[in-house]
Amino acid sequence: MNAANSGMKKKQWWRNYAIWFILPAFLLYTTFVMVPTFSSIYLSFTSWDGISDNIRYIGLENFKEIWNSPRVHNALTNTIIVAVALVLLENIVALVLAILVDQVRWFKNLFRSIFYFPVLMSGIIMGFIWMIILNYNFGVVNQVLDMIGLSAIKTDWLGNPDYALLSIILSTVWKAAGYYMIIYLAGLQGIPQELLEAASIDGAGKWKQFIHVTFPLLAGATTVCVMLSMINSLKLFDQIAVMTNGGPGFATETLTYIIYRVAFGEGRQGFGTALAIVLFILILIISLIQIRLLRKREVQM
Amino acid sequence: MAKAKTPITSGNIILFIITLLIALVFVFPIFFNIMSAFKSNAAILRDAIAFPTEFYTDSFKYLLTKTDYPRAMLNSAFLTVGSIIAMVVIIPMAAYAIERTNRKWTNAIYIFFLFGMMVPFQVYMIPLFKQLNMMGLFGNLMGPIMIYIAGSVGFGVLLYTSFLKGVPREIEESAEIDGCSRIGIFWRIVFPLLGPVTASMVVLQGLGIWNDFLMPMLVLPSGQTKTMIVELFYYVGEFSSRWDMIFAGTTMSLVPVLVAFLSLQKYFVKGVSSGAIKG
Repeated sequence: MNAANSGMKKKQWWRNYAIWFILPAFLLYTTFVMVPTFSSIYLSFTSWDGISDNIRYIGLENFKEIWNSPRVHNALTNTIIVAVALVLLENIVALVLAILVDQVRWFKNLFRSIFYFPVLMSGIIMGFIWMIILNYNFGVVNQVLDMIGLSAIKTDWLGNPDYALLSIILSTVWKAAGYYMIIYLAGLQGIPQELLEAASIDGAGKWKQFIHVTFPLLAGATTVCVMLSMINSLKLFDQIAVMTNGGPGFATETLTYIIYRVAFGEGRQGFGTALAIVLFILILIISLIQIRLLRKREVQM
Repeated sequence: MAKAKTPITSGNIILFIITLLIALVFVFPIFFNIMSAFKSNAAILRDAIAFPTEFYTDSFKYLLTKTDYPRAMLNSAFLTVGSIIAMVVIIPMAAYAIERTNRKWTNAIYIFFLFGMMVPFQVYMIPLFKQLNMMGLFGNLMGPIMIYIAGSVGFGVLLYTSFLKGVPREIEESAEIDGCSRIGIFWRIVFPLLGPVTASMVVLQGLGIWNDFLMPMLVLPSGQTKTMIVELFYYVGEFSSRWDMIFAGTTMSLVPVLVAFLSLQKYFVKGVSSGAIKG
């Protein structure tokens, strides 16, 4: 690097180290993320089956079908149910766990690790364990219900269309809450003790302290957690694959799952990519809102 | 530990008991999994909650000797380690060049990389599948490795560039005057300072790859041994009546995660908060 340090000479472009440093990442990223993403947009206007070389352009037909298909509507409804339920439940549970871990007097770190560990499990393993726990004949849940004399409410938790989605949602809360707990915990530990003491001198009880001091100061953590949990809930896949495979019927089919089923199960890859574009637009909108909210917060602080 | 002096109140005890009960709910499925791995299938079906009466290890032996599971374990380890090493070489270099150059073209590349963070895998998996076929990478373990690196460029560059903003340039400048090459400056001076980010990225991405399911299932063809998680998924279908086998398999895939977590706990927690605040 002889000429590089002076900056006086006009460098030839290939002498610029930056190009060579960026190039490998750029090539891999372009080839394996961007090219297929843009191919997706193109394929969404075709009726490609995934095998033949003959890719037929059919204009907006796929999107019309999405607009009219009851199955897609059902999947969208399920996606929205899952997203709303997961965002609410995961955040409430995470906040409660964070407060408990923050306040508990003994074994703080042990409790934190216990609540966090399910986050590290693969959705497939977690889904399998819960599938067995919820099994109708041999599962733990029904066995416990029998023991405490509640045999009447026993059901096939994953085989009954009324409960299958709920079972997936609740077991996902078990798996994911610990992740958001860590973020809330960091927020809680950043709250100055003086504020809470001042509030308590002014006569605020624990609950009022939480509502008027702690919770508002957690606004930043809440924004982050709500957005992350929303995006993650839209991507939910592994649990569904192992626990119900979208069934019974289409009861647990979400947007990500219908994409997979249509493209690789039914050989309709053109239609699958069209659905993927819909998912992408959804996630894009949420990400843009997220960026706006985060910017706003930065300005306020 | 000034707090330890204050007297124990009944509130302390009630809170502890509540936390303990919730912790039991959280621990139970994992405990249930490991416990069931040491029970015979008949014992699991007879009474799922009962503690194992004998130390049954036949399901482990069967998995390790009669199935492709050991091969799948190797594949998982190879994919995880291979991708992580490549990521740690490729991504910080790109982030460094982007942050230190700070010109129009590098900023454009930065935005281009960040855009990838918003694209979920499901959006590009269908064309990707076809593209791997065309490139002759279908069924080759190099395929998933390259996809993992590509998929983590956005997140990784974001983490590294924001950290690099706080790393002073003076040392680099003096090294440059001493005639050290850029690559030497980066690897000898800058990279060691990036330790915390590297640790977070290794831990988070490593875990993600070890646990990944959809991508390896799609790009490694049937008939070939895949990864642990994918094999487990198939076992759920194939051995649907042999739960002991699947429990043994899940236990074996959880052990490395547990060991990594216990020894690198700090980085797991840090990784979460860094990913959350920046992402």
